[in-house]
Amino acid sequence: MIKTTMLMRGMGFLLLATFVFLLALPLGAVVLKSFEGVDGWTLHNYEQALSSGVLKEVFFNSVWVSTIAAVITTVLAFLLAYTIHFTNVAKPIKKIIRLGVTLPMLLPTITYGFVLIYAFGNQGIFSRLFGQPLFTIYGFNGLVIGYVLYTLPAAFLLMHNAMQYMDHRFIIVSHLMHDGKWRRFYHTILRPMLSPIGGAFILAFILSFTDYGIPASVGGTYDVIATTLYQTMLGSIPNFSQGAVISIVMLAPAVLGMITMGILERGNVSYKSVSQQVAFASKTKTVLFGSGSVIVVIALLAVFTPLIIVPFTTAYPFDFGFTLTHFQAVIQMPELMNVYKNSLLVAVCTALVGVVIAFIAGLLSARTNLKSRKAFDVIAMVTNAVPGMVLGLGYLFFFNNSSLKGTFFIIIAYAIMHFFTTPFLMVKNALQKMDPSWEVTGALLRDSWLQTVYRVILPNVKRTLVEVFSYYFINAMVTVSGVIFLVTTHTVLVSTKIKELQHFSKFNEIFILSLFILVTNIVVKIICEFYLNRQSKRG
Amino acid sequence: MLELQQIKKSFGTKDVLKDINLTLSRGQIMSLLGPSGCGKTTLLNIILGLEQQTSGKIIWDGEDISQKPMQERGFNIVFQDFALFPHLNAYDNIIYGLRNQKKGIDEKSVQEYIKFLELSPHLNKKVHELSGGQKQRVSIARTLVMQPDILLMDEPLSALDGVIKETIKERIQSISREFNLTTIIVTHDPEEALTLSDQVVILNDGHIAQCGSPVEIVNAPANEFIENFILQQLRIKRQNIYRLFGEQHD
Repeated sequence: MIKTTMLMRGMGFLLLATFVFLLALPLGAVVLKSFEGVDGWTLHNYEQALSSGVLKEVFFNSVWVSTIAAVITTVLAFLLAYTIHFTNVAKPIKKIIRLGVTLPMLLPTITYGFVLIYAFGNQGIFSRLFGQPLFTIYGFNGLVIGYVLYTLPAAFLLMHNAMQYMDHRFIIVSHLMHDGKWRRFYHTILRPMLSPIGGAFILAFILSFTDYGIPASVGGTYDVIATTLYQTMLGSIPNFSQGAVISIVMLAPAVLGMITMGILERGNVSYKSVSQQVAFASKTKTVLFGSGSVIVVIALLAVFTPLIIVPFTTAYPFDFGFTLTHFQAVIQMPELMNVYKNSLLVAVCTALVGVVIAFIAGLLSARTNLKSRKAFDVIAMVTNAVPGMVLGLGYLFFFNNSSLKGTFFIIIAYAIMHFFTTPFLMVKNALQKMDPSWEVTGALLRDSWLQTVYRVILPNVKRTLVEVFSYYFINAMVTVSGVIFLVTTHTVLVSTKIKELQHFSKFNEIFILSLFILVTNIVVKIICEFYLNRQSKRG
Repeated sequence: MLELQQIKKSFGTKDVLKDINLTLSRGQIMSLLGPSGCGKTTLLNIILGLEQQTSGKIIWDGEDISQKPMQERGFNIVFQDFALFPHLNAYDNIIYGLRNQKKGIDEKSVQEYIKFLELSPHLNKKVHELSGGQKQRVSIARTLVMQPDILLMDEPLSALDGVIKETIKERIQSISREFNLTTIIVTHDPEEALTLSDQVVILNDGHIAQCGSPVEIVNAPANEFIENFILQQLRIKRQNIYRLFGEQHD
């Protein structure tokens, strides 16, 4: 590897300083605030929070409902991923399963709740279809369904990736050795998948445990830790130090979960080579799993039908005539259109700056010997473990008295930090796979390091950077949890505006704004896909 | 005896194998040799039963097994990088298939294989603690204990360090002799094929360019392909080795 230069050191220093300022200090502010008393440091805040039964109750509520949701998500995600990799379901159907299950990712979680209300509530589409509500949607049921919708894409992608790297030749060996069905399933699939299955469960649990959007919309009287934190901070009697304590309580399971995931990954079965998929599935298995998965995907998409029905009916649920008046009204409301423009601005800036930061961090980490390069791995672990609400709260505490308060800058900075892990790992992995001797070759051909980066590394990592752009854009578009603490009347975003519209029961507006987000994200995704396809055809 | 009669395999309109006719006697070692893309791995998969030939017959000891599923043919394979179950130790990998047999594990015969393959000191090791050569021997043991009629090996030497290749070659030959085991090896290395096997089948572009004993191939190459690509390489090698030892070949 090439020698470390002043330029690399400078870049590393600047980047680390950025992370200190935008990540470490805000998180430190939360910790400090939780120990801050009227006169000096105290444990009083913790004593107070832990002695009241309320926090205990919401904590266990959160744990219970998240566990149930995570179990369901893990089972469904496994079913879907298994269908795609180990059955002979027709390719187009596999593609539909893959796209269908990831579609909810393009919407803010707060929308899920309202969609659920309009699907299963008293006047919900499915309640009317069946003549009566199937179950009470507010509270526990709504939370479980919402969390499953929210966490299924992530859990599915995790298992989908793991199965992609499985060695199908073990299935041949198992057949040659005359294994029975169950023994084959255990040794060739379940055992190697144990750690991804555990990972998917923990991921689903943490996402559910820390999400704010779903309980905000459909939680009803079933209080969870996220809504309690919001109430404590922005309710009628704000209590900052109590808020800090609650966010530490929220952080603890997340950190624990991430550590467990790290340990699980060590027990991961690693295969030396990836083989071509061999079609061994019997017809019965294919039909059984295929139809099971299709039903799951149809049910999942069906839940979202209110999103396209409600805003285009004259007066739901009384007059089902088709109309564009609600849509036109929203377009003519400068207030709402400004909110949409704000969201777009934040998403574009987050994606552009995020790509640069992820690229530099990945570059220094994967292709230099810089001493500080290990720090980026730690940072990526931290951003992964810290829930959005906790980081948002940190920003609120840290920037409260600064001129940055209420600017787009802190929202964008928040989004870049909060979603840093995946882009960083994407870039780092891509760069690590590349030939390690490029820089030396470049140097021997009289390139400076920057020239090699620009002329060789950048063109080869372009595809990944496009994926990073798309990832950052979509997540910035849908994020709710942390930004609720950061927006002001000038910087309000679609996802937070929805929360506000809820108070006035303006559901048509909520759904139309959600559709704006959905369509924007789909367009961005299609553009990126188109670019990637064109690239791979050329290459 | 294994017989292949007019085996043909097409993917869509592309013929990967055309008119393959072969016979192989019990206990012999046969190599399928050829450049990448010549169809040798496809032929191996067809014999194993993993892929179905488009037309043609496979006969084993007089029985037509063309339509028999892979599991019932009684053949077994050692993969190029061995495909050992990473969550089991060496011993559990070896007896993996025996656990499926009703008659249980005949510990004595297992120990014989283990002794023959010199695996006794490594039985409790995890797969990742084994060296390449040890992994291969575990993989061979795993298939041998199942007492296959034919042992198929996919590039058995290419995942191993150069220095142990010659020993492995001897080991494969001694296994075949000791257990009178019909063995079919896929390789792209002429030297490997010609020094290891009783019979060499050279494939080029989906058909058999020549089939014969190593001596026949060296002394009477059937066509230009054999001459230019197989023998020429060996001559250069021979020249280099002689030069290295300061000798002249007559």
